Amino acid sequence: MADIVISAKGIHKTYGKRSTSYEALRGIDFDVEKGESVAIIGKSGSGKSTLMHLLALLDKSTKGVIKINGTDATKLKSRQLNKIRCLKFGFVFQQFFMNPRDSVLNNVMLPLKIAGVRKSQRKRRAMKALKIVELDDKAKNKANDLSGGQKQRVCIARALVNSPSVIFADEPTGNLDSATGKKIEDLLIKLNEAGITLIVVTHDEDLARRCSRQIHIKDGRIEK
Amino acid sequence: MKIIDVISTANSNLLRNKSRFILTILAVFIGAFTIIMTTGINTGVNGYIDKQMASVGGEGYLEIMPASTMENLGGGGLDIMGDGDVKEYSSEKAATEIEFFTQKDIDKIREIAGVESAKAYQMTSAEYIYSVTGEAKKFEIQIGEMPSDSLNVDMAAGRMVDLNNGKAEIAITDKFIEPLGFKDAENAVNKEVKLAVKNQMTGQTTEVGATISGVMNPNVVGFGRAWINDAAGNELHDIATAGLPDEIKNQSYFAVAQLTDDYLTDEKVTEVKDKLKDMGYSAMTIEDEIGMMKSFFDAVTMVLTIFGGIALIAASIGIVNTLFMAVQERTREIGLMKAMGLGKGKIRLMFSLEAVALGFWGVVLGVVLAFVAKEVANHLAAETFLKALPGFVLVKFDIITLIVICLIVMAIAFLAGTLPARRASKLDPIEALRYE
Repeated sequence: MADIVISAKGIHKTYGKRSTSYEALRGIDFDVEKGESVAIIGKSGSGKSTLMHLLALLDKSTKGVIKINGTDATKLKSRQLNKIRCLKFGFVFQQFFMNPRDSVLNNVMLPLKIAGVRKSQRKRRAMKALKIVELDDKAKNKANDLSGGQKQRVCIARALVNSPSVIFADEPTGNLDSATGKKIEDLLIKLNEAGITLIVVTHDEDLARRCSRQIHIKDGRIEK
Repeated sequence: MKIIDVISTANSNLLRNKSRFILTILAVFIGAFTIIMTTGINTGVNGYIDKQMASVGGEGYLEIMPASTMENLGGGGLDIMGDGDVKEYSSEKAATEIEFFTQKDIDKIREIAGVESAKAYQMTSAEYIYSVTGEAKKFEIQIGEMPSDSLNVDMAAGRMVDLNNGKAEIAITDKFIEPLGFKDAENAVNKEVKLAVKNQMTGQTTEVGATISGVMNPNVVGFGRAWINDAAGNELHDIATAGLPDEIKNQSYFAVAQLTDDYLTDEKVTEVKDKLKDMGYSAMTIEDEIGMMKSFFDAVTMVLTIFGGIALIAASIGIVNTLFMAVQERTREIGLMKAMGLGKGKIRLMFSLEAVALGFWGVVLGVVLAFVAKEVANHLAAETFLKALPGFVLVKFDIITLIVICLIVMAIAFLAGTLPARRASKLDPIEALRYE
């Protein structure tokens, strides 16, 4: 049996208080194996983003257990959760979330800075990550001066700069036209083939199809 | 994130909105500058007073006033402005309240152990002075009887008046050299001058001769007064009060005493002061007087410092505002950093440091400009109103005080930063990333 990186058991997530409460997730059981690429698909409001936030330890479930490499994450302190997110996870968002006035290099180095990596190493590792996304020649440019596709590639470089074991991508192609979106897809799949576990939340059927597994979420449950 | 990175990030974040940054710093600067300058003036003035007084001497010299007079001077407070309560008259109380000294009172003071000599101090005034040898131009002059020979006064030429000399003597300040027609200080010594005094009843002016014993350098002891000896004082007093009843003639509002050499320690002086207090007097040493003068300057600079403090409080509200805006603007960025695993504490630290940096740069600007202002102010003061007082440096900075001010300003800024820092650290990363 392959290594289980993330395992979710009986996950419930309820927002709000009793009378106005809304159950976003109603019992999710699901494992992610090492090196897998999982696409989480569903209509807006289905709870797919909530699920990703829980798997990425950005949020706490109301009920259920999430294990990261066998460790119960619900029992960890926020300092340990921060450490996992910082060292094991990479994030790619639909809206990029870059500091537009800062240089491309500085944007990519941010996770290393947060991780407390020495200054001399930061640049070297960031340049390596930029090389993978083929933007090493733009390192000195302002992030704002890049095109949408280039921005997303910088974000991917930022996600992989600390050599994570899992990359979470929330609608990575949602803001891009199909041609540039295709390039991002290729890049993500390539990273996955290099051994990084990929969890993608997407509307993009093309991207979903290229993942090794698709999970459909409807009304807070996994559709079989 | 390493602390050094938190610091550098905080500092570079400040420059993101330069005009806001500069305006906030300007507000801090105004408060810090005011405080630095007022404490600088305080240090300068007190330093000068100390320096002057160190050379004054006056060991064992006491100025004695009836306690009630002292109260009216200082302790009475708003009584002067008619704010006192209406008090019922009591003949008993009035009897114990000494308002002036009689010969009997002086005798009683002389009997106190440790008192070498005591005398009633006569208030004397002169209408004008003129030189017998030079042109006979008349000048107004402030004079006073030299209260004690234990006081040292810096002399430009000659000597201080001799209290035991039976001949009338006067020591003038150097300002009078030229008007009285002398070449220089040396030239004025032993020259004859005439002092005019007005009789209090008839208003008739009489002239009295006196010899210049010496010329004084500028000093704060007499506030620019010329000193005369007892012989001159008595003569002037007799003329001024001729024809008045004896009771009024001999009225004196304060007395001076000199303690014996074995009564110069603080405890002994206090002992004598306590005895005088029991008798209904209030006595002050030169040190006490310096203390009073200093507390006056302290009060003035304190008020100015409070204004500076108020400016700082206003500035700290500016810091709060600036940082709240920064948190708002950087909501998504904060969310991203939190998602990437940056802890609450570091976020809070980052914003707190931004606040401290605002305070730091404000106070640095304050210090730099205060040094410039100090040079300008000292230069101007030396050319104008302090011309007569060489060695008086108006503004002086004390390094420790400066450091303390810097630290206080930064502490205030830090406190101002706690609210925005808390808000930033409490942001939920998911909410923050969703923020438009």
